[in-house]
Amino acid sequence: MVSLLRTIRNLRRAGFKEWWRQMQYIGDAKAGTYIGADQFGNRYFENRNGEEEIPGRHRWVDFAQHEYHASQVPPEWHSWIQHIRKEPPSQDTVMQNLTPPWQAPYTESLTGTRGAYRPYNTAVPKIKAWDPKIAARS
Amino acid sequence: MSFALKAAVANASWRAALRCPNTLAARCLLHTSQPARMAEQQPVVPSPTSPTEPVTLLAQQGSLQLSLQQPKNGAEYVLSTLDKVTNWARQGSMWPMTFGLACCAVEMMHMAAARYDQDRLGVVFRASPRQSDIMIVAGTLTNKMAPALRKVYDQMPEPRWVISMGSCANGGGYYHYSYSVVRGCDRIVPVDIYVPGCPPTAEALLYGMLQLQRKMRRSRKGVLWYRK
Repeated sequence: MVSLLRTIRNLRRAGFKEWWRQMQYIGDAKAGTYIGADQFGNRYFENRNGEEEIPGRHRWVDFAQHEYHASQVPPEWHSWIQHIRKEPPSQDTVMQNLTPPWQAPYTESLTGTRGAYRPYNTAVPKIKAWDPKIAARS
Repeated sequence: MSFALKAAVANASWRAALRCPNTLAARCLLHTSQPARMAEQQPVVPSPTSPTEPVTLLAQQGSLQLSLQQPKNGAEYVLSTLDKVTNWARQGSMWPMTFGLACCAVEMMHMAAARYDQDRLGVVFRASPRQSDIMIVAGTLTNKMAPALRKVYDQMPEPRWVISMGSCANGGGYYHYSYSVVRGCDRIVPVDIYVPGCPPTAEALLYGMLQLQRKMRRSRKGVLWYRK
């Protein structure tokens, strides 16, 4: 739970700079072991001590970008942070061995940017709008 | 007594037969190749973009939006700061008009409930269109309901946003070929965010709300007015 004691303890553990960043982006003072970083620079942490973190808040991500959102977490780390897999992808041998080499690189959701997906239709439209044509008078 | 001893011996022999021999222990494990890929901190799939140059930055290059976000003189600096303050105020209290039409409305209620807890984002359902900012069209929009939807939309004050939730509201969905269903609520009202799914999860709708917050943050109306 959030308390003054916990905040001070986590501030001492994480350091002032890290704590300030957490207060700006996470909104809570958190301290735990650094598990790893993904290819986008997001950092992942874990604190499995039930006295310090509520179970369910014990794995968290520190996003690299200022404009952050949930789809910036790649699927491998998503499965770790949502407790689908126990081990992080850097230690998960099953995930490493079962990742095909032809798997396309992951990009975050680009909705709202110019990289957003725009659907298009290559078929002939079934509905033709009425185009009035006036016959020439004789 | 002898029977028990016999059974124990039989069990031991079975265990010995089933156990993998030590010399073949390595063969018993699947996937022992590729030890090099088990190196620490190696991403499973390499990425063409780097942490210092994310893909959103690449997507924004040379766009009008980026030009609006970079003030050129003092007046633009002041106006863009005012815009940012306005955006912050707007995104902090989004009050959606509940336009629950079908099963999507249940997921919309889940977003308001304890697990996804929209209140922490300042999203509070407001049953009156005159005091709401956002309309969440959740469900199948029928021909009969369409005039009511348009009327409610017209009653909302500016600025207003519309979230189209679910495949029925996005484009008719399952009822696309029905005689009595509007093929997408964007034929009636302008839509900002489309949330796909049938029905979309509460998580997806909340992600849509966060995307709408992003859209609000991008607004630079003052700078746009100044440049004109």
